Parts: sequence; C-alpha cells; structure tokens
Amino acid sequence: MGVPEALILRIAEGRDRAAYAQLFSQYAPKLKAFMMGRGLTAIEAEDLAQDALLNVWRKASYFDPSKASATTWIYSIARNLHIDGVRKQKRAQTLPEDLWAPEPEQAPDTHLIGVQDAKTIGVLMQTLSPEQREVVRLSFFEDLSHGDIAQALSIPLGTVKSRLRLALLRLRAAFETRAESKSV
Amino acid sequence: MTSINHHLDEVILLDYHRGRLNAGQSLLVETHLEMCPHCRTSLRLFDAIGASMLEEVVPVDMAEDALELALARIERPEEAPEPRVAPELPAYLKGIDLPESVRAAAFKPRYWGAPGVWMAHLDAPKDGRGLTYLMHVKGGMQMPVHDHQGLEMTLVLTGCFSDDRGAYHPGDCVSCEAGDHHSPLIAADDCLCLIAANAPIAPRTLLGKLLQPFARI
Ligand SMILES: [Zn+2]
Repeated sequence: MGVPEALILRIAEGRDRAAYAQLFSQYAPKLKAFMMGRGLTAIEAEDLAQDALLNVWRKASYFDPSKASATTWIYSIARNLHIDGVRKQKRAQTLPEDLWAPEPEQAPDTHLIGVQDAKTIGVLMQTLSPEQREVVRLSFFEDLSHGDIAQALSIPLGTVKSRLRLALLRLRAAFETRAESKSV
Repeated sequence: MTSINHHLDEVILLDYHRGRLNAGQSLLVETHLEMCPHCRTSLRLFDAIGASMLEEVVPVDMAEDALELALARIERPEEAPEPRVAPELPAYLKGIDLPESVRAAAFKPRYWGAPGVWMAHLDAPKDGRGLTYLMHVKGGMQMPVHDHQGLEMTLVLTGCFSDDRGAYHPGDCVSCEAGDHHSPLIAADDCLCLIAANAPIAPRTLLGKLLQPFARI
C-alpha cells in the first residue's frame, strides 16, 4: 500500500489509475462506515464514498501535503458533500479548496493545524478526560443534536456544551503548542 | 481591516461543520469565517479531528463492483458545473462594502421597521422558527431593550454598535441566548448587521412592543 499523500500526488501529476485504485480501496470502506454513523443508509453512504473519491480524482491538483494530510483533505471533501446533501442547496462556495487554500493574510495561527497528521490528533484526543472525549466522539460520529447527546448521557444540555467547548479549546491549544515547537 | 475581537462560539462552529445549522445561520457563520482567520483555524481543527476518527473507524465493505464503478466513473468527462448566477444586488445594498458570502445570498425587498431602521429578510425556505435578516440602523440610535427567547447571532458588517458587554466592529459576532436582554447603542456611523435568530425577540419596553408588529421580528 502506498502512502496516501504520494498516491494523491501521483493522481495529480500523472492521472495514475493504479494509484487511484489503491486510494479507493483504502478510503472508500472507511468513508462508508463513517457516513453510516452520521445517519446515512448503507446505500447513501456507499454513494457518498464513491462521490467523495471521484472528487479526489478530479481535485487532486489542489491537494497540498504541506497544508493537510491526505486523510484530512479527503475527510473535508466528504464532509462538504454530506452537508450539501443535507442542505439540498448549492453552497455559495465549495469549501475544500477554500478552507485549505493559502491564507492571504498570513495570520500567525493559520498554517499550524493542517500539516499535523490525523494520528497526531488521535494522540491529543487521549489527553482529554473520558467525559470530554465522549462528547467529542458523539458530536463527530453520530448524527445527534446536543440535546440528543445530553439525553443519551443523562446530563444537562449546558454540561454537554461546556464539556465540548472545553475539549475543543484544549485540543486547539495542544495543537498550536505542538505546531510551534515543530516549526521552531 | 481591524482585527476581530468577538468570535463565534466553538459549539456553533462545530454545528456548522456537522451541517446542523439552518441556511440563515450557515450564511452568518460563512460570512464570519470569510472575515476571520481565527475561526477558519477552528474549522481546520475540526477537519483534523474528523480525519482522526475516520482513520480509526471500522471499515464497512463496499459493494462488490464498487472499484470497477469508480474506475469507470473517472473515465467519463466531467459535467461542466452549473453556472452560478449571482443574484442581482438589491439597490439598497449597492455601494456598501459587503463580504462575498452576503453578496452571493438573496435578500427580499427591504422595509422600514421604525424611523431610521430598515430590515431585509434572507430569501430562503422557511426553516422552523428561524429568521435571518439584514438590519440597517442609522447612526446614534438606541435600540429598545429586548429579551431573547432563543439563540440570536448578530454579525456586524459595517459600522459599529455597543452594549453593556462591549463594542462590536465589522466581523465581530455577538450571540444572545434565551433570557439575555440588552439595549444596543449604535455609534455615530450607520450600522449594518446580519442577524440569525432562532426565535422572535421579545421587546421589554412599551416602545419595543409597539415596534414589534411593524418590524416583523
Ligand atoms: Zn472568529
């Protein structure tokens, strides 16, 4: 199996079909599973995985491994397709290129996050308390409102939100510290 | 551009990321993101968190012919994207320096809610009790004290206003939860805001009550 970043670059540079087949086999089953968690049926999730990878093929030249890991980029494409489907309306702008495009203003905190690979975040997630980790997981994995999450965990809605807020702030701080120590 | 001091709540940003906001709330979030590198970084963080979960998810087998289909689809020519026709900018917005996200959205004709105050609703399908509108207030006005029944987010587009919690400049966001009440004061210049409310506001003063039927907010 090739490193996914290299596979996307091979697609971008040479329209490499073998690289695409590898990338598809690596990511489609995961995207399908993830989207079923977000409340899609198996058929809808399969279609979305197909569409997401088709977009990867078409947009491969926009991929910049110094900005985002392959998994982060592919996730952001699938997320946008999912939201488009949910909203059933054309978005004013398509985000993957925009959000991961170079920042015009060069604010100090803008480039730090994307280059971290998803495994690093997995490690940072372990620094959260089990309660914080649970609300983050439920928010990303499941198609639940914060009210539903509160009910599922039998805790007040305010607690769900404050836990989530703390967890996200903590992850962001950890991220920025890591990125700074790396770039110095 | 002056730097932004009042950001969107991380929980709202996450709901945007998850696709759980209505069209008006999403427009407000997108407009703030356009103006705010700090919150764009949060969105990237969410992508990275989502990606870490994607890595550890237990895969579900695709259909048997999935790869074959995928390889066939990439050989087909890409349909040209539907040309996006930007809505004609209403006359009342011409000449105002507006973020792209607002320019790309469609607003209904404006109407006067009170002397010196006009409003224009977002032209979007009705979405529960949510209501999204532009509000333009003449400089120097004091808005009536009002309560909030649900979440109301206000994004300053031009001008400036202040309340007992601080001053808000272009790009700044102020969120009011149910039970909050405030009485914003508009600075010398005219102020244009984008407001996304979950529920109607409840004016506390008699004047506010009198205004409400006219203002339709
Ligand atoms: Zn912000």
